[in-house]
Amino acid sequence: MRVFQVQCKMEIIRVLRNRYFVFWSLMMPILFYYIFTNVVNTHPQDEGAWQAHYLMSMTVFSVMGSSIMTLGIRMVQERAQGWSTFMRITPLSDSVYFAAQMAGQSVIHILSITVIFIAGALINNISLSAVEWVMSGLWILLGSLPFLAIGTLIGLMRKVETAAGVSNVLYMVLAVSGGLWMPIEVMPKVMQTIAQWLPSYHFGSGAWEIASGHAPEWKNILLLVAYLVLFMLLSKYIRRKQEAV
Amino acid sequence: MTEVLTLKNVTKSFRQKTAVNNISFSISKGEVVAILGPNGAGKTTTISMILGLLRPTEGEVKLFNRQPQEKQVREKIGTMLQEVSVMPGLKVREILELIRSYYPHPLPVKDLVNLTGLTEEDLKTRAEKLSGGQKRRLSFALALAGNPELIIFDEPTVGMDITSRKRFWQTVRTFAAQGKTIIFSTHYLQEADDAADRILLFKDGAIAADGAPAQIKARIAKPSVSFTAAPDISLEPLYHHSEIDDIYRKNNRVYVQSSNTDRVLELLFQEKLGARDIQIERGKLEEAFEELTSTTKEAI
Repeated sequence: MRVFQVQCKMEIIRVLRNRYFVFWSLMMPILFYYIFTNVVNTHPQDEGAWQAHYLMSMTVFSVMGSSIMTLGIRMVQERAQGWSTFMRITPLSDSVYFAAQMAGQSVIHILSITVIFIAGALINNISLSAVEWVMSGLWILLGSLPFLAIGTLIGLMRKVETAAGVSNVLYMVLAVSGGLWMPIEVMPKVMQTIAQWLPSYHFGSGAWEIASGHAPEWKNILLLVAYLVLFMLLSKYIRRKQEAV
Repeated sequence: MTEVLTLKNVTKSFRQKTAVNNISFSISKGEVVAILGPNGAGKTTTISMILGLLRPTEGEVKLFNRQPQEKQVREKIGTMLQEVSVMPGLKVREILELIRSYYPHPLPVKDLVNLTGLTEEDLKTRAEKLSGGQKRRLSFALALAGNPELIIFDEPTVGMDITSRKRFWQTVRTFAAQGKTIIFSTHYLQEADDAADRILLFKDGAIAADGAPAQIKARIAKPSVSFTAAPDISLEPLYHHSEIDDIYRKNNRVYVQSSNTDRVLELLFQEKLGARDIQIERGKLEEAFEELTSTTKEAI
C-alpha cells in the first residue's frame, strides 16, 4: 500500500511540474472562459445559463486535454528514454504502476475541475446547486475515460515529437468540432451533424445538461462507452502487433 | 557453491536471425563475470533474457532457482542497462526514494551517493536536465538502490570518463568483496581482464570460451610461425596435423597458428614445403581479439 501511495504522489508531482499541463489544462481554459464570458460580449439571451454552459465547456476542454496529451506524451517519453524497460526489472508490478498512473491522473483531473470551477464561480458568480456542481464534476471525471484511452493510443507512438504533434491537432479538432469553444448551434449544419458523432461533443453535452438542471442523455453515455471500448480494443490490438516483433 | 544463475540450452531467434544459439552456463554466488564479445555477439540479448525482458525461444533461464520475472527475483537484482533510463519530471533524490520504496531492504540514499559519486547538487536536479555522466551515475545508483545480491551491468562504462570509470570499478570491487555476484558485458578485453575473475567469451551468439582471464588470453592469443613460400606450393599437408589450429595467408606470408611452435617448425621441414624467411611470433592479445571482433556480422 505504501508503494502505491509513494507512486501516486510521484505521478502527481510529475504532472504538476509539466509546463504543458499547467498551460493547456489550467491557464488556457480559465483565460478563454474569462474572454468569452466577459471581454467578448456574445449577447446571450440568458447570461447566467451561458456562463454556466461555457464553464462546463472549458472544464471539459481542460480535462480532455490532460487525458489525451499529458498521459500519451509521457508514455512515449518513458519508453523512448528506457524508463519503461527499467521499471519492468524492478519489483513494482505492472498493475500497480498502471493503477498508480491512473489514480494520479484522476487526482490531477479532480484538481483541474476544482480549480476551474472555483475560478469560474469567482469570475462570474455562477449559481449552481451543490448537487449540480458535484454531479457535473463527477461526469467530467468519469467522462474522461475514453480520452484517457486515446492517451494510451498516442502513448504507443515511437517519437515524442510525433506524439506531441498528433495529440495537439487531435485535441484542437475534437475541442472545436465538439462545440467546446463555441456552441455547435452557431456552426454550419454539416458540422452539427458531425459533432453528433464525436466523443468530445457528448462529453461536453452531458456536462451542459447537468448545468442546465437536466440529467445527461442516454445517447451521451452510450456514445462515450462505445468510444471507450473502441479505443481500448484498438490500443490492445496495436500493442499486440508491436510486441509480435 | 550456490548457483545464482543458470542458463540451459538457451536459444533466441528473431525472425530469421538467431541472436543466441544454444548456450548453457551457470554462475555461482560471489563470482564476478564478464560477458566479453564484439558488437552483435549476443551479449545484450543474453542479458535481456537473464533479466526477463526477452523470453528465450528455447531453453531455460533461472535466477535463484526461479523464473526471471518473479517478484522474489526482482527484489534481489539490480541493473544498469545500456540505454540510460530517466524518469522525466522528478528530481534525482525523488527518483532514488521512489525506487528504494519498491525493495524490502534498500540502501540508504547517503550510501548510494557515496558509492556512485552523485553530489548534493545532483540530488536537487531534475532527471531530464542531467548531463550524460550524471545520468550514468544516477543509473548506477538506481541499480544499487535495492541492495541487490546480483548486479547486472550491460556495457556499464560506455560514456564514462576515466575518473567515473575508476570509481565505478572500485565500487564493483567493494560489492564483490561483500559476496555479491556481478555480471557485466563489455567489448573491451582489458576491462574484462582487469575486473572479472571469469570471462564468458561470446562469438556469433555462442560461447567461444569460458574461463579465468589468463586462460582465455592464452587461448585467443596464440603464437604462430610465419614464412614465405612460392604461391604454387600446396599447404595441404599441414592441414592433417592436429597440433595446428589455423593456417592463413596475410601480406604474402603464410601464418601457421599453434601453441607448439617447435612442432610446427619440425613439420615444415618434414613436409618439404620450401619455406623461407621463417619467423616465430608470439601472439598479440589485442590483435587476436580484434581479429575475432572483425569477423562478426552485426546482429541484434
